[in-house]
Amino acid sequence: MVMSSPVTDRAEARSAPRPDAGGASVGRLRDLTLHLAKREIDVTHRMTVLGWAWPLVRQLALLGVLVFIFSNVLELGIDNYATFVFTGLIAWSWFATGITAATSSLVGQRHLLFQGRFPAVVLPVVALAVPLLDVLLALPVLLVLVATSQGLPWTIALVPLLIVVQFVLMAGLAWMTAALSVFFRDVPNLVGVGLLLLFYLTPVFYGLRNLPGKFQRVLQLNPLTTIVESYRAAMLGGPAPEAARIAAVVVLSIVVAVVGFVAFNRVQKRFVDYL
Amino acid sequence: MPERIAFDGVWKSYPRWDATSRTLKALLLRRVPGFMTPSARRWALRDVSLRLRPGSITGLIGPNGAGKSTLLRLASGVGAADRGRITLPPDTASVLSLGYAFSPDLTGRENAYTAALMAGLAPHAARAALSPSLRFAELEDFADAPLRTYSDGMKLRLAFGVIAQLAPQALLLDEVLAVGDLRFQRKCIDHIEGLKDAGATILMASHGIDQVAELCDDAVWLQAGSVRAVGPAEAVVGEYREAMRSATLERTPPQGAGEDDLELRRNRFGSQELVIERVRVVGSADGELDVGGRLEVHLELRPTAGRIRAPIVGMSIHRVADGLLCYDGSTEADGVIIGDVERPLTVELCFPGLDLLPGEYVLDLGVYEGAWAFAYDYHWHAYALTVVGGVPDRGVFRPRHAWTIGQ
Repeated sequence: MVMSSPVTDRAEARSAPRPDAGGASVGRLRDLTLHLAKREIDVTHRMTVLGWAWPLVRQLALLGVLVFIFSNVLELGIDNYATFVFTGLIAWSWFATGITAATSSLVGQRHLLFQGRFPAVVLPVVALAVPLLDVLLALPVLLVLVATSQGLPWTIALVPLLIVVQFVLMAGLAWMTAALSVFFRDVPNLVGVGLLLLFYLTPVFYGLRNLPGKFQRVLQLNPLTTIVESYRAAMLGGPAPEAARIAAVVVLSIVVAVVGFVAFNRVQKRFVDYL
Repeated sequence: MPERIAFDGVWKSYPRWDATSRTLKALLLRRVPGFMTPSARRWALRDVSLRLRPGSITGLIGPNGAGKSTLLRLASGVGAADRGRITLPPDTASVLSLGYAFSPDLTGRENAYTAALMAGLAPHAARAALSPSLRFAELEDFADAPLRTYSDGMKLRLAFGVIAQLAPQALLLDEVLAVGDLRFQRKCIDHIEGLKDAGATILMASHGIDQVAELCDDAVWLQAGSVRAVGPAEAVVGEYREAMRSATLERTPPQGAGEDDLELRRNRFGSQELVIERVRVVGSADGELDVGGRLEVHLELRPTAGRIRAPIVGMSIHRVADGLLCYDGSTEADGVIIGDVERPLTVELCFPGLDLLPGEYVLDLGVYEGAWAFAYDYHWHAYALTVVGGVPDRGVFRPRHAWTIGQ
């Protein structure tokens, strides 16, 4: 029988590392977020043949359909429609996939919340970080398309900033919807309906200029409109939204994130009672 | 100087588990959702105050539902107390539920890394702890197999292997040791005693009161969310055993007990708005049952304060020798709806073949508010049942079985 000696075990115990006493330092939150996102990606794609390429395949399929319909069936009068719609699609897919996953991230991974010392606040962020990988996979494809069809503008360097803004906005929303769905199980359904409507209220497969003036103004209230238009301006060249609109979206994103974070932390101790 | 664990006047309630109060529809219809009204809460801990010494192991004992797990959860930072304060060292480690954080598709090694990160280690420390974790768990050969191929015992070993790499000032354990085999249990206990010698404070819940008496320095006996006794482990366990065995049985009449033998606040609890008037335990003879025989429990219920909305009737069987819970069930668990009670009614529970092994048992019977908020009437260890039969089998129950020898 293999009996390990208690004496050596005790010696090991004394020299063993102390767990981080801070509990939820920024470094710990970052490490956990990155690890859980990596773990999720690993698990999702481990058993598939195409692996990480699957999200890209999904986006390209939708892209193909949209390009076919709006180039051959309903002409919208947009030059380089493929890159135009692909840009919008990348930003939209990340938003929709991320918010959907984040909304049910707490209920779906309730077991993690029953672990001592687990900071719940990372789960919605993990849910957003996982589809960010899809964005990073799709961007090179888009860049090749843009480079071959119309040439890359220098403003492409601003895209990471836009990703950060979108991420901040999504994080705020995700904290709110995730926390709410713990207390009200209708919220994921509500978010699903909301996203369905929002897809058509965001200029993903059409341009703002395809709309009559008064609708343009309504759609400008949607922060995603400004974000999608900014991506297009940065990647494809062409006119950017007015600086005031961009500034408003940046401020709004920060406010949403701060409110979401504070609200989440106020109620998070009660999650386990409702899970 | 290690800090100690302290609970000061801790109260904890849970919202009533009511499916309809948890949707937006309920919010819109009622304006105030069910969980915000104070009456809809069930108290799991009532005014618990404890101080645990550094360098000691404290065992937490008590029947199911006494609040042991709630106490450990709160202590490990899962959920918040309604009232009171819990003081703990900041680097407290805990094993509350087995393999819950584990992902079935990832390997043992990957899961161990996640567990180490979640326990509070930095990435480099978590990586460094991997090999020793797997070695402690004796799972080196299975490290790269997906976790779904692990048995419960292996999951415990993995979880404990990770915890064994930490040197926490406090360690919380909830009934997890029972899963492992005896040899590994011994190894865990050696490790826990090592932590204790190094000055850590350890709090563990256990069903095995013998283990608590042997391993723990102190013990806490929780009953219905309150501390019933606290002190040296031997003394508390002795008291607990006494209450479970002799004191209970001396006052426990054989079957067909009238309520004369029941006394409120001793072995009878509840609001008495709906009372269990009469109980008959019908086996093969007077309070006796042959192994595998038919057992019927007849209850007569009478409302004393008008209409009672959809109560729940529950029954449990404990083995007298060691207090083991052999069975616990209820109308709710079986999906049986009693409906509103205005007039006396009878409830019968029938086991066509009760497979308990020979021995002394006691029954608890209770009738509860429809959301388990409180008991209307609860008879604790009030009805004795002796199972007889000359079978040499050992264990808890004797399922129908047959041997077939082929050639």
